[in-house]
Amino acid sequence: MGTNNLDLTNRPCKILVVDDEPDLEPLMLQRMRRAIRSGRYTFVFARNGVEALERLNEEQDIDMVLSDINMPQMDGLTLLQQIPKVDPNIRSVIISAYGDMKNIRTAMNRGAFDFVTKPLDFKDLRITIERTVQHMMEWREALASRDKLVALQNELNVANQMQQSILPSQFPKGSDYEVSASMEAARNVGGDFYDVIHLHEGRVGLAIADVSDKGVPAALFMMSSRTLLKGAAIGTLDPGRVLGEVNNLLDEDNDAAMFVTLLYAVYNPATGSLTYANGGHNAPLVVHADGRSSLLPLTHGIALGVIPDLDFLENTVVLSPGDTVIFYTDGVTEAMDDDGEEFGTERLFEIFADGPPKDSEEANNAVFKAVRDFVGDTPQSDDITCMVLYRKESDR
Amino acid sequence: MEVHAERDGGALIAQAAGRIDGSNAREFESALRATLSKQDSALILDMQSLSYISSAGLRVILMVAKMLQRRGGKFMVCSLSESIDEVFEISGFNRIIPTHATRSEALAALGE
Repeated sequence: MGTNNLDLTNRPCKILVVDDEPDLEPLMLQRMRRAIRSGRYTFVFARNGVEALERLNEEQDIDMVLSDINMPQMDGLTLLQQIPKVDPNIRSVIISAYGDMKNIRTAMNRGAFDFVTKPLDFKDLRITIERTVQHMMEWREALASRDKLVALQNELNVANQMQQSILPSQFPKGSDYEVSASMEAARNVGGDFYDVIHLHEGRVGLAIADVSDKGVPAALFMMSSRTLLKGAAIGTLDPGRVLGEVNNLLDEDNDAAMFVTLLYAVYNPATGSLTYANGGHNAPLVVHADGRSSLLPLTHGIALGVIPDLDFLENTVVLSPGDTVIFYTDGVTEAMDDDGEEFGTERLFEIFADGPPKDSEEANNAVFKAVRDFVGDTPQSDDITCMVLYRKESDR
Repeated sequence: MEVHAERDGGALIAQAAGRIDGSNAREFESALRATLSKQDSALILDMQSLSYISSAGLRVILMVAKMLQRRGGKFMVCSLSESIDEVFEISGFNRIIPTHATRSEALAALGE
């Protein structure tokens, strides 16, 4: 079943009349001449069920069948069973002898939309045809919007799959540090991602990002951001240079004005030093081993893809054993409860008010639990993403 | 989300109210485009009544800013709430889009 020719408002409705009575054809054309002339209906004719099926197969755009019951070769009741195999959206009206309830019941049970009785009352026939056409148009509109909905859903699924496919599933769990990360995708949005990149000299690159907008174009932008980042990261250990390079590449041909906020950090497990540059992303939270918490200072970078030739400042902090860095997207801090209140940075601090986490997994789970407890049943409007770097207590 | 437009001298002032997120960023975009005529060379987006804007909304702002820049026009925002001001600060948008505390300050800056 195709979706072409669905719109009956722009073309006449094509009706196949099936009757072994040769006089019906000129009579029908004569009595329906006004509707034919005004372009509302066109008629095609067949003399029995077999011919009718031939017509239906030849002419793909027949909308409605008006058929007699008693005919040679193939009768109307048998034809009724065959029509849906050609096109389940064709509606049929049966012409029966007056009072022949048995055949009328059989026809209705076999899917006839309505019936008219002989001798034909053309006024009644016109009303019946009009009613059938009306029903068909509504049915087709419903089909078309269902198809649109399915297409939209497919697009969102594609975007979601793209997003899921680029997220790493393996995280470093070394003797001196470990990483955990997860993302809860919102139903209709897909823009967050994170990445863990193994660099030379034992360093590891950590990225967290949020692409503006949603759907397939945003997912494609996310894919290229991530690919460009990986490419740039391999070449240097300077996060600022990496962001500068990715920014210039993303800015080319970016007519849709999409952008990505991206924080990229290079961690050196040997010294605990973490050097980062920030393209417009939320400042990560550091939970120190002694229980204090603070946000990593902002380095005042602009989101990537907005304007070319930017310099991204770097900052370096040194993690002590037992320190935890929590990278997150605004899906965490802007998660809303039923009253429209945001989760906020304060609540992020409060998660670890009773003491620092024991490992990266625990910290990651604690963030998601706190957000979930806060929002309750309120539908999630943005991706929620969190990535945790934990420097282990030395050589236990 | 609602957008109301008015004119003050040569400047078009668009007032956005409510929330702008991924679900209505497209509406916000068409509403802004609809208020802006070909002759307009200055647009002030007043965010007094805007409670929230997501990155999808920022993208629309960036698009309008770039569009006006291409035709040699001016674009600025004013009356940002504390949380929206923070969004502008973190994303770095406050360094590429002029922001003003009040509408009259924005109008004064346009006149300069």
